Amino acid sequence: MTKITLSGVNKSFGANFPVIRGVDLTIDDGEFCVFLGPSGCGKSTLLRMVAGLETAYTGQIQIGDRVVDKVEPADREVAMVFQNYALYPHMTVYDNMAFGLRQAKTAKDEIERRVKEAARILQIEPLLDRMPKALSGGQRQRVAIGRAIVRQPKVFLFDEPLSNLDAALRVHMRSEIATLHRNFPAASMIYVTHDQTEAMALADKIVLLHAGKDMLKHGSIAQVGKPLDLYHRPRNLFVAGFLGSPTMNFLEASFVAQEPAGARVVLKGGEEIVVPVDGSALASGAPVTLGVRPEHLAPVAAPGAQTLTRKVSAVEHFGEYSFVYLDGGTPAPLIAKVPGDGGVKAGDSATYQAPADCCHLFDADGLALNHI
Amino acid sequence: MASSPVARATGRVAVPVLGLFWLAVTTVPFLFMVMTSFKSQQESFSSSVWALPEALDLVNYNDVLSGPFLTYFKNSVMVVVISVLLIMLISSMAAFAFARMRFRFNEAIFGLIVAGMIVPIHITLVPIYLMTRQLGLYDSQFALIGPYVATSLPISVFILTEFMRQIPKELEEAARLDGCGPFAIFFKVFLPLSGPGLSTIAIYNGIMLWNEFIFAYVLTSSTGTRTLPLAIWDYQGQYTANIPAILTVVTLTSLPLVVAYAFGQEKIVKGMMAGSLKG
Ligand SMILES: Nc1ncnc2c1ncn2[C@@H]1O[C@H](COP(=O)(O)OP(=O)(O)OP(=O)(O)O)[C@@H](O)[C@H]1O
Ligand SMILES: [Mg+2]
Repeated sequence: MTKITLSGVNKSFGANFPVIRGVDLTIDDGEFCVFLGPSGCGKSTLLRMVAGLETAYTGQIQIGDRVVDKVEPADREVAMVFQNYALYPHMTVYDNMAFGLRQAKTAKDEIERRVKEAARILQIEPLLDRMPKALSGGQRQRVAIGRAIVRQPKVFLFDEPLSNLDAALRVHMRSEIATLHRNFPAASMIYVTHDQTEAMALADKIVLLHAGKDMLKHGSIAQVGKPLDLYHRPRNLFVAGFLGSPTMNFLEASFVAQEPAGARVVLKGGEEIVVPVDGSALASGAPVTLGVRPEHLAPVAAPGAQTLTRKVSAVEHFGEYSFVYLDGGTPAPLIAKVPGDGGVKAGDSATYQAPADCCHLFDADGLALNHI
Repeated sequence: MASSPVARATGRVAVPVLGLFWLAVTTVPFLFMVMTSFKSQQESFSSSVWALPEALDLVNYNDVLSGPFLTYFKNSVMVVVISVLLIMLISSMAAFAFARMRFRFNEAIFGLIVAGMIVPIHITLVPIYLMTRQLGLYDSQFALIGPYVATSLPISVFILTEFMRQIPKELEEAARLDGCGPFAIFFKVFLPLSGPGLSTIAIYNGIMLWNEFIFAYVLTSSTGTRTLPLAIWDYQGQYTANIPAILTVVTLTSLPLVVAYAFGQEKIVKGMMAGSLKG
């Protein structure tokens, strides 16, 4: 049983610098969980609390059936891969991987078996006698992962393990980490990143964390769920804006009335849009924010139902698709991501349709209204 | 630094000239010492100070080496080696605590220890002399080890603490996850990684203590316990001094350091620079 449970966890650095607020979270057996959030939101801190490297918090952390708040890091059956790898510079690759097992007084031939096995999985067998400084970034990364594997932990902890690699290698190592997860189905993994692509690609479950004022107001956790749930059903403006690239378009609007098909709102430009959400708690004329992702804005020939007509301010071509920048978003310009060259140029007036299913409506507090 | 062509040209000339000048300043006494050690007492008075010795006369060496020189040498080696090992052990453990452990008054205690650097050893002579007598250690080699270690600790702790502060925190954390307690972290990770810092303090203190005179003079009195810097005493009477013999002693005393430098030059320079360079 390697279920990990955090209950009512709070952490401050010093008396008045809260970093983590009110975290209640369960990570299931064998699940790949990603902590995602902007820089400084406390992802690393939360991970390090699970590792036992960060103490002095309130609340409770359980690994399996065991409350580990007072358990030493080494006895938690977790292994961690650090962002800067943290290989021991004075030991060979082999000794780096064997070190933890030697500390645990594992039999010598067992150590050798496990290190060789890990080296085989990670394809670093020819490097076993090298010193870390004679390795490339990617190789060091593999050794760091190898050091985690040999300990056969119940939980793997990764703190931005790919952020020091170049873009191509990052994609490659990402798929290797996914493979690693398949090879160790019993172990749970917690993976910290601020890169939403990594999170979407790897996660069974994403935990998106608030930073700063949002954290103080709503607690650390912005939303927990499967990657596509967060993408399709963001719970608030922060989640909606964080996931997706380019980021979701936001338009100021006011609520008109609740209809059977959803809430009817009117935009600043006068267009009326129906969003399939429950707005019955809203007063007529209440300010709301309409959200629609750039990739969901579809070009149409003429204005009609669910359409927006705006002046094109710029177009960026990427061959396969183009970004069309339109006047009138809040606070950033509206962007439509369209196939091919988009068929428009700066100065044109263009019309796009926002399919009802793909529209989101947020109340004045920034909370999403429930879809119906 | 931005510099004009003139300034650069001046620099190209001035730097080697200054270097040569300094080389002369440091080598001339050295040459004098070595040359004179091959002269007879007679010759050293009659010939010019800068005249080469008439013959490679080893009489002085024979003389010195058949005297108690080797006893002094043995004492020096013993005192310096034991002191330096103790200094390395104690200061590295203290440095680890100051650099990596959180406890009350950490900074205050560190400040106090470092402030020890400004205490002139001379004001400690009388109390140390009295303490040594009371401990019954007077006139033994062990009398020197205590004061040597104590007076060397402030600078050593200072250097090593700065050094250990540079070691990434993640290494310590990785070691904790690998099952190390504080002692294992110290001995298996921090100590091996402090190699350059340790060699800095070993070299620095080794040289200082090898040449240390005043404690040796005050705390020892007989031939069997004295160290090399006191050996010259044997060749100087109330009214005369056997200058060639004294310079032979000095030559022989500096020989181990010169040999060590010749073989370990690269390491020594690297060690001395360790504080300023990372990793
Ligand atoms: N030891 C510490 N003492 C004081 N403040 C700290 C300490 N460690 C972290 N913090 C602060 O806590 C906050 C959260 O830090 P944390 O490292 O967990 O952020 P993060 O989400 O991992 O950010 P990043 O993406 O930049 O790594 C930051 O504001 C940071 O400055
Ligand atoms: Mg971090």
